[in-house]
Amino acid sequence: MAGPAYIADPESAVRAVAVDGLTLLFHAPSGMTHIVAAPAPEILGALREGAADAAELIRRLRARFDLDDSDPGSASGAGAEAAILARLDELEAAGLVRRA
Amino acid sequence: MNGCDQEQAGAGDGKAGGGGFVPSRRAVLVLGAAAASTVVTVRPALAQTAGSVLNCEIPIPQPSAGGNYISPQGELVPAGTPGAAPPLGRPLRGEEVKNLLRSGTTPAGVDPTSAQAYANYIRRLQAGMSGFTCYASLQMPR
Repeated sequence: MAGPAYIADPESAVRAVAVDGLTLLFHAPSGMTHIVAAPAPEILGALREGAADAAELIRRLRARFDLDDSDPGSASGAGAEAAILARLDELEAAGLVRRA
Repeated sequence: MNGCDQEQAGAGDGKAGGGGFVPSRRAVLVLGAAAASTVVTVRPALAQTAGSVLNCEIPIPQPSAGGNYISPQGELVPAGTPGAAPPLGRPLRGEEVKNLLRSGTTPAGVDPTSAQAYANYIRRLQAGMSGFTCYASLQMPR
């Protein structure tokens, strides 16, 4: 796997509040607030361990969670990677992750 | 938002452990379909036109910090601290800050050896501090 690696700002730069199944994130460097749903917070948490590409992220998430194989996006292989990359695109557009 | 009805990792815990993200209690995580969206951004009314952004100003340090010096890491330190940069005699304009942060260009009249300290001070600005709105505006995608 040689896809792009991503990295997230340190925890100190982002204030997180869990609200009714969603998570509100205040990103201090940009002053912007984001409302995120799973798996976005989990991806950000996994990136705190260091930069990772999609395959590495999936490995980290599998270590912490049971990925739901009933969802085509969560099955192992290309579907999971496509889903993770889609999530990373969103997080990058929001300024919450960047290319390492 | 497609993820609202998915089982959330620890969403019911009530506490975001240590102020971090959603707690990591082992749970089922649905990655979602590639087309689903999981992020909604709330943009504050900070980003004005490009002109106003580039014309905003950031005092270094903020007036309430008086004559404090700026450490190389951007922290306020007592005046005269060795290795720290003195207060800047004039506020930096948005365009200067943008160039300083993005390409390391030292603003006119600024000591190049102090510029990095000033850049780090700006990066550490928080809501409520003079210049934060200007800095936040410069971070906006457009």
